[in-house]
Amino acid sequence: MMILEHEAKALLRSVGVAVPRGTLIKPGTRAPRVRDYPVALKAQVRSGGRGKQGGVIRVDNAKALKAAAKKLFATSFGDEKPEVLLADPWLPFDRELYLSVTIDAAAEGYVVLYSPKGGIDIEDGPKPARYPIGAPWKFRTHELRAVLETVEKDFQLRERVISLAQRLVETAAARDCHTIEINPLVRLKDGELMALDAKIVYDDWAHYRNADILAQRDGERRRADKLLRASLEMGHMYVKLDGDIGLISGGAGLTMGAMDTIHQLGGKPACFLDASPGPTSTRGYKPAFALLDGDPDVKVILVSVFGGGTHMNRVANAMKANMATRKSKKPVVFKLDGTYVEQVPGIFDTFGAKNHVSLEAAVKEAIKLAKRA
Amino acid sequence: MSILLDQSNRVLVMGVTGNYGKFFVTDSGGYGTTVVAGVSPGRGGGDVDGVPVFESAHAACNATSADTAMVFVPPHLVRAAAIEAIEAGCKLVVATADEMPVRDTIEIRAAARANGARLVGPNSPGIISPGKAKMGFMPSFCFMRGPMGVISRSGSLSYEGSKRLTVAGIGQTTVIGIGGDPIKGTTAAEALALFHADPETKAVMYLGEIGGTEEAAVAEYAARKDAKPVAALIVGKTAPPGKKMGHAAALVGSKADSHAAKTKMLAKSGVYVCKGLSDLVPQAHNALAAAS
Repeated sequence: MMILEHEAKALLRSVGVAVPRGTLIKPGTRAPRVRDYPVALKAQVRSGGRGKQGGVIRVDNAKALKAAAKKLFATSFGDEKPEVLLADPWLPFDRELYLSVTIDAAAEGYVVLYSPKGGIDIEDGPKPARYPIGAPWKFRTHELRAVLETVEKDFQLRERVISLAQRLVETAAARDCHTIEINPLVRLKDGELMALDAKIVYDDWAHYRNADILAQRDGERRRADKLLRASLEMGHMYVKLDGDIGLISGGAGLTMGAMDTIHQLGGKPACFLDASPGPTSTRGYKPAFALLDGDPDVKVILVSVFGGGTHMNRVANAMKANMATRKSKKPVVFKLDGTYVEQVPGIFDTFGAKNHVSLEAAVKEAIKLAKRA
Repeated sequence: MSILLDQSNRVLVMGVTGNYGKFFVTDSGGYGTTVVAGVSPGRGGGDVDGVPVFESAHAACNATSADTAMVFVPPHLVRAAAIEAIEAGCKLVVATADEMPVRDTIEIRAAARANGARLVGPNSPGIISPGKAKMGFMPSFCFMRGPMGVISRSGSLSYEGSKRLTVAGIGQTTVIGIGGDPIKGTTAAEALALFHADPETKAVMYLGEIGGTEEAAVAEYAARKDAKPVAALIVGKTAPPGKKMGHAAALVGSKADSHAAKTKMLAKSGVYVCKGLSDLVPQAHNALAAAS
C-alpha cells in the first residue's frame, strides 16, 4: 500500500535522509504554526499526478494559506479528499533530480533508477538510468557509479546520490518497501541533497514484522465503511466499479476474466471482489454478500468460483447456509467449478439453486436479470 | 515429454502434517506424483498416509533421495522452508502460498540461483504435467495430456483456461503457474525457454494480466524466428487504472501496463491474441495449426 507523503518523509528522516521541516495542517486548524513564508502547501493524497491536478499551491502569507487550505480540503483527487495538508518551506535549489528504488522482475529483486532531470514530467522524458541489484546485499557502490558515470557528470553530486541510493536500498529491504521514490530530489544552494517529495509503497504482506504496515492496514480498514470493513477483514480484495452486476469471485485472474466476459457480453461489472483468501475458507462469503446486498448499484449477484484447494462441496454448502439467512431479494447466479464440483448439483437442489456449467451462460443470465431489475 | 515435472521427480513435502500437506499427499499421490518424504519439525519418525516424516529437509533428502520440494507452510515461514529444501539439494521447489512479502521471494530466488535450483511460485497454483504428476491443488479433471504448454499468472484462470482446452480436445504437456507476484521464482521468459526446448510442446498458451513486464518477455519470445507459436489471453480489460486487482503485480500504473498496450504489443509480435475467455479455444487451435 502507498503511504502519504508526510509519512514517507518521516520514514526517510528516520534513516538520515534530509527532508524539509514541514508543518501538518488538519481541517479546522485556526492558526497553523507556519512562521516563514513562502511555503508549498501540499494535499496529502495517495493518487498520482497530484501536482498536475493543482494539489500543490505556493503560499506567501497567512491569509493566503487559509484560503489555499480551504480550497485543497474541498478538492477531490481521484476518489479521495485530503485529510491533512503539508506546508513545506519553499526552498531554493539549483538542480531537480529523480531517484528511486523499486522491485523489478527483470532485476530479480531491487533496482535503482536515476535521472539527472527530475520533476513532474519525469514520465515524458528519457528513461532513467537503471542499476539492477537483485537481492539487497548485492548492492555495490562501484557498480552504481559505473552506471551513473554516463548520465551524471557532476562527480560530487554523483557520489552523494550513490550513498543515498545505498541507504534507500537498505531501507527498502529492512522496512519491506516495494518502492521508495524521491521526485524531485533537489540540490540546495549549499550542495546538499534534499527529498522535496517522497512516495513509499509498502509490502502489504509484511504486516507481521512491521508495525507501520499493520497500522496502515488498520487505517485502510477504518476508512472503509462498515460493510466493506467486514469483507476486508476476511482478506477479500475489493475494487468498486461503475456497473450493476455484483461479482463474487475467487482468484484475481479469473475475477478479471469474469469482469471482461460481463463487459464483452453487454453487461457492466459492479466490482472486482476476490473472496478467496485461503484455499479452505468459506466463511468469508457472508460479508461479501452483505457488502453487495447493501450496495444500491448492485442489481444482481454473480458468484463465479473455480477452485482447486477450495472445495466446491464446501462452497456450495456455504452458499446454502448463506441464502437461508439472507434478507435481500437480489437475484443470485451461480457458476461453481473445480474440486468436488460433482457434489454441487445435489447440494443446490436442496435449496432450489442452479449451477451454470459455463461462465458465458452464467454471465448471460446475470445480464438478463440485471436488465429486468 | 513435459517440463520440470513428471513421475521421476522424488517429492518432499515441507509442512506435511498440516491440513494442506496431508491433503496434498493423498490427492497428488493418487494422481501419480512420486511423494517420498515429508518434513515437520518435532514430528519426525511418524508418517502421513504411508509417507515418512523427517525432522529436516537434509535428513529427508539423505534418506529418500528427494530432489523436489512442495512447500506448504504459512506465508511467513515459506522463505525458511524453501531455502532449507534448496540447501538440502532439491532442484525444484514449488511454493503456492500467497500473502508472502516480496523480499522473501527475492531471497529464495537468490538461494535457488546460487544452488542451481529453481523456484516455481509463489502466489501460484503450482505445476502439473497432465497424466504424470502435479504439485499443487489443481482439479485434475481440468487437464489432459497433449501438445500445448500453458503458462499462467493466475491459479483460477489456469483451471478455467485448461478446462476449456481439455473439453475442446487440446491436451497440455505441462501447465505452470508462474504466479501473480512482482518477483517470480520462474518468469514467463524462463517458462517459455523450457517449453521451447521441450520437443513434445508444439505451441504455448499464455494466460496473463494487466500490469508487470511478463508480457513483454512473451512478445520478445514470439518475435523470434525459431519461436513456437504462442497464443495469449490477457485479462483486466475492464480494470480501472491505478487500482491493484488482487495480485500485487496486477495494476495499471503506466500506459505499458494496460490491456490495450499489452494486446497490441503481443499481436504485433505474432501472438494469437484471444479476444476474451470465449476466444481461448479458437486461438489455441490457430497456434497449434501454425505449428504443424
